[in-house]
Amino acid sequence: MYEIWLMLNIVWEIALGIWPLLLAGAVLWLALLGTAWRQDGQHWRANILPALVIGAAVAVVAALLLPGSIGSTLSDMGYWVDWGMLLALAAAVGGMAVAFAWPLLSWRHGRARA
Amino acid sequence: MKKPTAVPPIDPVRRRWLQAMAAAPLVAGATTPSLVKAAVKTRARIVIAGSGLGGIAVANRLSQLLDGAKITIIDRKEEHNYQPGYTLVATGVWPVDKVRDRNADYQPAGIEWVKDMVASFDPVANTVTTASGQRIEYDFLVVATGVHLDFAQIAGMDVAAIGREGLTSVYPSPEAAQATWAAMQAFTAQGGQAVMTLPATPLKCAGAPLKMSFMLRDRLFKAGTLDASKIRFQSALGNVFGVKVVNDNVLERWQTLGIDVEFSRALKAIDIGARRATFSSPEGETQEMPYDLIHVVPPTRAPDAVKNSELAWKEGPFAAGGWLEVDKSTLQHRRFPNVFGIGDINGTPRGKTAATVKKSAPLVAHNLVEVIAGRQANQAFDGYTSCPLITREGSAMLIEFDYEGRLTPSLPMIEPLQDSFFAWLMKVRMLKPAYMAVLKGRV
Repeated sequence: MYEIWLMLNIVWEIALGIWPLLLAGAVLWLALLGTAWRQDGQHWRANILPALVIGAAVAVVAALLLPGSIGSTLSDMGYWVDWGMLLALAAAVGGMAVAFAWPLLSWRHGRARA
Repeated sequence: MKKPTAVPPIDPVRRRWLQAMAAAPLVAGATTPSLVKAAVKTRARIVIAGSGLGGIAVANRLSQLLDGAKITIIDRKEEHNYQPGYTLVATGVWPVDKVRDRNADYQPAGIEWVKDMVASFDPVANTVTTASGQRIEYDFLVVATGVHLDFAQIAGMDVAAIGREGLTSVYPSPEAAQATWAAMQAFTAQGGQAVMTLPATPLKCAGAPLKMSFMLRDRLFKAGTLDASKIRFQSALGNVFGVKVVNDNVLERWQTLGIDVEFSRALKAIDIGARRATFSSPEGETQEMPYDLIHVVPPTRAPDAVKNSELAWKEGPFAAGGWLEVDKSTLQHRRFPNVFGIGDINGTPRGKTAATVKKSAPLVAHNLVEVIAGRQANQAFDGYTSCPLITREGSAMLIEFDYEGRLTPSLPMIEPLQDSFFAWLMKVRMLKPAYMAVLKGRV
């Protein structure tokens, strides 16, 4: 339980350090979601697969670039814990890409058909 | 007979959400034990000497745990330094700004901050006197003064000269760490003879001299000047790290990396202009050693205010350094039960690190509250400490151990002696946020 509490605090402190960025991202995401939601002829279901493909592509790129962003390299991956952490971080980045890509694609698809 | 009212069926998904919402306070309660306790009412006067990580962390916790206490922090220093980051600044990984904050931003509301230094302690009269002569009475005292870096034991040493003539030291300040990086860059551009030192006293962050050696070797390798260089590690300890399994692992690595080690050389004097260091052996023999770059690790002892007081150990291995005489389990003073120690000042077997404070600050606050409430200090510290030992840029080992030198990884899957991206990520991105949470009294 202590480790869970510690990790939550670490995430909180990291978020405190970049809160303007997080706030801007959240506002942008909500605006995107609202715009796509209000549009006639939504195509959410049709765009989930393309959004997932984009997310997967972003995750792959993130996995390749993340080590370099902190002065490390893929050759520094020592054991499965390293790979697990890297893949989890890459998946988180990919998940964020999906969160933005899905409403964006739905909105663009709707506009194109309107 | 009244017919029971039919209960509408609940959607299984909704049921799971409701269960999760009901369980949320239980999870929060289990993970934040200090926040759910009722504050103890008291009029106690508590003085905290020092506003480093230990002093502020305990102040924040006591503010949560006590209602009505008068808490006074005594420390002249206004800048708060994230000292675990000094090695990252000194090796060019971090800019110096990342280790600089303001103490005022982290102290709890409602405390008194006396911007002065404690000049003397009188635990018999329950008073401290500051450098300006102010006499402050207390009912309970927390000693959190940190260590004194005793560069004066090295003849010819001048802290102000760090960064010039190949003189480096990561210990004194952010400025020294920054100057160390400048000197390291100049050195690695050409290569040469590097001398790394390690004194025989208890040491603040005992892994720092090793990290500096690993990183210097890595910087030489990346600059392409490793072949024109030699790193010599001069230890006065008989080893390079107090935990045998770690010591053996590091020595094995250094043998592969070409870092030579001497085990009985103490730095006694330095001629900065001539770039010559003088070492002595336990037998009293001296040896001069020329260098192009030297990393000086100062002997450490308790600050004079503690060393010259009744609070210091009077016999045993911690007496020479004047360290605070606390019980290693409860961190309560062995002769003055209204006094506790936190952090580097404690005369305990290991652990002059931020990780030690992380684990012991909640315990000190709890035990002090117990004593204020008229009970016995009842929580025991196992000596936990941690050292994210950098082995090169991009990789580290996450070593955690206790008083007995047993490896005690926090997470069972962590391999303490494994070079790891995860440990490096912890060091450069996650440990400062963890430190901040400790400082604020939350973990």
